[in-house]
Amino acid sequence: MTGMDAILHGGLQGYLVVALLLFAIGLAAVLLRRTLLMQFMGVELMLNAANVALLAFARFRGGDLQATVFYLFIIAVAACEAAVGLALIIGLYRHRDTTDSDRTASLKQ
Amino acid sequence: MFLAFALITLLGALGMLLQKNIIVAGLFMVAAFFGIAGLFVLLANPVAAALQIIVYSGAIMVLVLFVIMMLNSHEEEAAEFSRPIQRWLSLALVLALAVGAVKLVMASKGVQELAVRGAATSPAVTLQGVGAVLFADHLLGFEVAGLMLLAAMVGAVALTKRNL
Repeated sequence: MTGMDAILHGGLQGYLVVALLLFAIGLAAVLLRRTLLMQFMGVELMLNAANVALLAFARFRGGDLQATVFYLFIIAVAACEAAVGLALIIGLYRHRDTTDSDRTASLKQ
Repeated sequence: MFLAFALITLLGALGMLLQKNIIVAGLFMVAAFFGIAGLFVLLANPVAAALQIIVYSGAIMVLVLFVIMMLNSHEEEAAEFSRPIQRWLSLALVLALAVGAVKLVMASKGVQELAVRGAATSPAVTLQGVGAVLFADHLLGFEVAGLMLLAAMVGAVALTKRNL
């Protein structure tokens, strides 16, 4: 399967294209949206795009188990990042009463 | 099947990007994560699919939605400065990146060769196999991940508590 056929019926290229478009949408969310929570969700989306590409390559290299172990570590780090990131957003909201990243461009009040 | 899950994933992500209400955007993200879990099932990896649903749709997105509702700022605030040049520039950058990368993947000889060579069905990933690899080859990493989760938990509590 190559070309358009691979994209439409789940060849390696299809998964990679989905991962790339997912990454682009996440990047657009980080760059275009101003709310910190939306930017956070964009980062999560980019992380997931990397996971899709990793597991797609693992499947097409004969079902490599190392990739699933790496995926396990990645979601452990993502969970830590979510907890600390959301705690920072809550702390910021308490100090500034805003979650707009433009309004929090400087550390000083 | 692949097309259905790919469309669920990409439309969910696109809905998140375009949605004004943050709660609805969070629910679109849950749909996107379910789509990704479906893609993992198609990749003969039910372990990753289950983890995706349990950790992302179940834990992380619930935490995000919980924080969104707690902060009580559901709509995006009006822009302090409108930055048209930066916004169009970043949109152009993202589009150029996406189109360029997709073209690169479609033209790559190595990816094509790998797609043909690996097309034969491989055995599905089992939890048993993953556990064996995890504890045989990555025991130190596993322990460090546990320690890091503990540190993140303590850090999150320390950051949000008003007076320790």
